[in-house]
Amino acid sequence: MIISEQWLRDWVDVDLSAQEIADCLTNAGLEVDGVEAVGQPIDNLLVGRVLSVTKHPNADRLNLTTVDVGEQQLEIVCGASNVREDLIVAVAMIGAKLPNGLKIKRAKVRGIESNGMLCSASELGLEESSDGLIELDPDAEIGMRVDEYLQLDDHLIDIDLTPNRGDCLSVQGVARELNVLASGKYHPLDVAEIANDIDDAFGVSLLEPDACPRYFARVVRGIDSEAVTPIWMQERLRRSGVRPISAIVDITNYVMLELGQPMHAFDLAKLNGGIQVRFARDGELITLLDDSEAKLTSDTLVIADQEAPVAIAGVMGGADSAIGDDTVDIVLESAHFTRKAVAGTARRYGLHTESSQRFERGVDPLLCEQAIQRASELVLEICGGQVGPVCQSQDQVEISAKPSVELRLSRLESLLGMSLDADEVSKILHRIADQVSGSDEKWVVTPPSFRFDLEREADLVEEVARVKGYDNIPVAMPRIAPRSVVGTESYITDRQVRQSLVARDYREAITYSFIEPKLQQAFDSETPVRLANPLAENMSVMRTSLIPGLVQALQFNLNRQRERVRLFEVGASYHKTESGYREVKRLAGVVCGLRSPAQWAIGDAQNVDFYDIKADLDAVLSLTGQSKPIIFEQSTRSALHPGQQALLTREVDDGTGNEESVVEIGWLGRLHPELEKQFDVHNVFAFELNLETALLARRPSFTTVSRYPSVKRDISVVVDDAVPVAALMRAVESELGSPLRKVELFDVYRGAGVSEGSKSVSISLELRFVDRTMTDDEVDTLFASARAVLEKEFGATLRS
Amino acid sequence: MTTQQDSSLESLLAAAKSAIDAAEKPNELEQLRVQYLGKKGELTNQLKQIGSLPPEQRPLFGDRVNQVKQQVAEHLNLRKAKLDAEALAAAIAAESIDVTLPGRGLPSGGLHPVTRTMQRIEDIFVAMGFGVATGPEIEDDFHNFEALNIPAEHPARAMHDTFYVETDTPAAHDYLLRTHTSPVQVRYMLKNKPPINIIAPGRVYRCDSDVTHTPMFHQVEGLMVDEGISFADLKGVLTHFLQQFFEADLKIRLRPSYFPFTEPSAEVDISCVFCESGCRICKQTGWIEVLGSGMVHPEVFRHVGIDSEKYTGFAFGLGVERLTMLRYGVDDLRLFFDNDLNFLEQFK
Repeated sequence: MIISEQWLRDWVDVDLSAQEIADCLTNAGLEVDGVEAVGQPIDNLLVGRVLSVTKHPNADRLNLTTVDVGEQQLEIVCGASNVREDLIVAVAMIGAKLPNGLKIKRAKVRGIESNGMLCSASELGLEESSDGLIELDPDAEIGMRVDEYLQLDDHLIDIDLTPNRGDCLSVQGVARELNVLASGKYHPLDVAEIANDIDDAFGVSLLEPDACPRYFARVVRGIDSEAVTPIWMQERLRRSGVRPISAIVDITNYVMLELGQPMHAFDLAKLNGGIQVRFARDGELITLLDDSEAKLTSDTLVIADQEAPVAIAGVMGGADSAIGDDTVDIVLESAHFTRKAVAGTARRYGLHTESSQRFERGVDPLLCEQAIQRASELVLEICGGQVGPVCQSQDQVEISAKPSVELRLSRLESLLGMSLDADEVSKILHRIADQVSGSDEKWVVTPPSFRFDLEREADLVEEVARVKGYDNIPVAMPRIAPRSVVGTESYITDRQVRQSLVARDYREAITYSFIEPKLQQAFDSETPVRLANPLAENMSVMRTSLIPGLVQALQFNLNRQRERVRLFEVGASYHKTESGYREVKRLAGVVCGLRSPAQWAIGDAQNVDFYDIKADLDAVLSLTGQSKPIIFEQSTRSALHPGQQALLTREVDDGTGNEESVVEIGWLGRLHPELEKQFDVHNVFAFELNLETALLARRPSFTTVSRYPSVKRDISVVVDDAVPVAALMRAVESELGSPLRKVELFDVYRGAGVSEGSKSVSISLELRFVDRTMTDDEVDTLFASARAVLEKEFGATLRS
Repeated sequence: MTTQQDSSLESLLAAAKSAIDAAEKPNELEQLRVQYLGKKGELTNQLKQIGSLPPEQRPLFGDRVNQVKQQVAEHLNLRKAKLDAEALAAAIAAESIDVTLPGRGLPSGGLHPVTRTMQRIEDIFVAMGFGVATGPEIEDDFHNFEALNIPAEHPARAMHDTFYVETDTPAAHDYLLRTHTSPVQVRYMLKNKPPINIIAPGRVYRCDSDVTHTPMFHQVEGLMVDEGISFADLKGVLTHFLQQFFEADLKIRLRPSYFPFTEPSAEVDISCVFCESGCRICKQTGWIEVLGSGMVHPEVFRHVGIDSEKYTGFAFGLGVERLTMLRYGVDDLRLFFDNDLNFLEQFK
């Protein structure tokens, strides 16, 4: 909310500069975003009266004017369409320098000498753009400095209010608050009761007292429809960010800004009988002041005449009953709508108005009467007319007094972590509320009707702390109970995994959790979780895999002259389940381009292939210390190349002696050629691990180190090409058992000497006993049994 | 010993020395060793003649032959050492490389700056004794709002532009993308009894996208609950954290603010880390807002079944991207999720 410093000072005397006021409010929780000067002093700018207007002889659109500025009369050429005799204007005389930088000099305009310029509001720096001259009030003092007349020596204080302080959405509210904080002198508005001239009562029935417990209405007849809002009021509205519209509307807005009570005015002639405050009937239509049409639902509180809704309560009035150019009889509304009644409405209809903003946060229920009196006073002053009686409809139950709140000194001290002087606390409480009883140990406070936010002890603790100043609370260090921060050894951390990939030249990416449905579908057939209100269609479903987002990031970089991209991400995928939703923490990566950056010491650089990425995964997963290798099995994922993809599983052992179990840990493969074509990428490899299973670690457990030498024997066998090498290795391992220290593959050969459709596989076996040296016979026996198992299970023949 | 014998030994020595000096290769030296000092070598042969000498001459002659033998051997050794040294020098010269050429293999990659910041935040709090907790990102209304004292239609909901999850019954907005990491507080307190000291890092979502907002960002929530935890403790923990994080002896300022789940509440500012007297980043104020905090609201304690008369606590929430921007001088929030390598590569 933007508030004028001068207006605020009318309400409260404090010995502070505008900036000091801002600092004081900020330090008390009313955060000031900025303080801006309204204007600078402008010399040679005076209030003048147009004495005569004649046509410029050489230009159709220009006029020659004679203007009285008090001590002299000036001949000035003017092009504004609203110039007329007796108009009170702002006259920039020779030598004036306007805020937009324009310096006024004596000049000839189409052959006629002009001794100054008549100004618009925008030329005075009061608004962005203006249509015509600024029209000053008829009673303005001719010859007075315009900067003084308009109070340009003012500042706009922009306060970013938190939702709990709806009471400060008015000049009165901020003044009250500043008075509490700075111990100033507070001048509340003295509004006299305006007696009625006529007896026109206006019927209001409150059908929903829970939502609208109080409604004041007043008829004013015979207003001057030509009346113009005085310039001081226009300026205050403008400085508060509200555009002046017409006298009646401006008055209702002014009262709202001044006191905090949103008001509305209806054209009496356009209302059909008395009004009701009720909930809308489903499907009822209303055309609003902003010309939009709303189809109402039955949870919307409306003001309705005998026929149809005429306003959405507390949000916006209807166009059909609005004040128009020819309105002569009006009904002023000053009502209390509860927070609950208005809160959802503004959001449902997308109508966030000055009024709804206030009602949502809570308006003082006791304000209605003062506001309607103040508005009547201003209407009579500006538009004339005759007022009827104030018609009150209210439900006392709903506006009962606020409950009192207890504050204990001991609680105050323990929550803030400091000792406090009871007298000081008493004084602070008295500044906040009129009704405070008790002293020393405990107080009972009845918060004022406008402080909706003071409901419990903690709220009073904050009040005391706030007024005393948070800066005055000491700094302490709590005793922190020791706890396990190291974590289990049954999992490795995702930090280790990240670091391991970084060491292998991967860059970490962070992509959005929501993606485009088509993209999602291209990679995964699972039905994703959809957002009900996405920002855009391309961010409308929750990813079931990190790969689509990563492929997009890869593509982004390829489009920016990158050829080698290696990205990974750690994050969740999101899934629907029978009973709700499930999130799985995953690690995924995408890679394309050269195996290593082009460099001088490596001959022809090769593109990455399946086995490069496999090695990366082996390195990452070996951090878990699991003794069993990862099992890569040919798989059938549709987004991947049918001949270059694998499902990863592993037998895990948590090192506690529990049984080993086989878990699925992820997949690896090349993107399907169709997908590569679709994304205009080539040779892209992707992998994704489920970190919940992939990171299951085995706590290292010691086994005796053999002091006896080991023996190495190589074996080369020819098998059918379709036999997976891993199966050969596993067969040898399980056949030989513990004497086999290590089995390593060192060659796979196809070609001359090996028949078509077969391959030669060379394996090295390292054999040893832990407790003695292995004899040659024992080595031979073991070697022979390895050969035998390969022959028996795979039809392997020794390669000659 | 006769003059003749003597001169023949001398000439043998001279011949050996010159042959040794002429040798250029280790095998030539080896041949010369055999030729002169071997079992059938010339000097060995000389010694064999000793029997033909008169007995009185024998010791002198023997000594002399042995002297020559020794001299030849020394000469051989010297020559060998010289040749070895030359060979080594030549080998070294041949093996010398340009050490300025680049190394071979893979360089290293790097972490995302947001991860870097999160890890730094975690490390500081873990060192203080805090644990790390997590919670789901698809949350329900209860944990994200209700239990945090933000009932339906509360104006604070307007501050959280919430993404809702589409359900079969469109009216039931029960599930949403969490708008803050605060629901982890609720989940943790429902499961654990005080003393509690945790942080909860993670992704959060708001449907807002412009120059200063991305629809997804990261927060770290902090929560400490025990008997006697005070606002002064909150100040102490946050001061320690912020000074450690920025590696600076900076000042912190708490300003009253409003969050439905804390009371009293405070915004926390740090003295500007970029200037002494006002700059663009601190908007000429000398202060930068970095996080929100406060004492856990009794209503939150009531929802999780913790006795607010016995226990008190503080909570805070900080924006990871904001701290990352301040720490590394990043000036555009949107860069974090473009994943442009030109950006990522700046964070080794």
